Amino acid sequence: MFKTTGFISFALRRFTGVVLVLYLMLHIWVIGAATQGAEAFNRRMEVFASPATHVLEIFLLAAVAYHAFDGIRLLLVNAFRVTGPRKSMWYAAFAVAALLTVIGGLPLLLYALGISY
Amino acid sequence: MGFFRMQRLTAVALVAFMALHMVVVHYPPGHLDFTRVLERLANPLWKAIDIAFLGTALLHGLGGLYDALIDMEQIAMARRAVAGGLATIGLAAFGYGVYTVISFSPAALAALR
Repeated sequence: MFKTTGFISFALRRFTGVVLVLYLMLHIWVIGAATQGAEAFNRRMEVFASPATHVLEIFLLAAVAYHAFDGIRLLLVNAFRVTGPRKSMWYAAFAVAALLTVIGGLPLLLYALGISY
Repeated sequence: MGFFRMQRLTAVALVAFMALHMVVVHYPPGHLDFTRVLERLANPLWKAIDIAFLGTALLHGLGGLYDALIDMEQIAMARRAVAGGLATIGLAAFGYGVYTVISFSPAALAALR
């Protein structure tokens, strides 16, 4: 059971979902500093300005991409009854999310390393 | 509207909101500073989009968290308390987020210049 794509899909979607909702709360708090002016906003943004947090943003992008594409796959299976290729659709969702993470993560990595492009 | 239908509808909306958000706000990385945020949020349409995005994300996110929590047997017994707690957190976060978004105004932008 634990090796089926259905279970892996469920576990990854749930894990990324919990990570994303916790991040959402942090995001609302960070952006909230903007009401106190530019200095307060930029100071709060600086808390997350280290190269390590920029690398974590790549994992965040991976979580968003996986959750979104696996969610679209789930919608096709459950709402539109596209049940036949559901296993291949999971591989496709995973591959698209991985590709998007690489494409979107590269600028983030270069930025984290201080390399201009 | 049932819980799963709400999760589905908010999920579809979030795919569109998130794509827009990533392209407009986060890419290229490193260009996000106070003035840029202020310029964008001086536009009422962006305010409306961001408030809708915030509400949709909170509904979907906290709804998903509720679902994950009540899957655990001990927590499932207190599902009403869990729902109440998450609703309170959601309302507080939505209120704080909306206050943040509506605080931006052309007057604030002019004061910076």
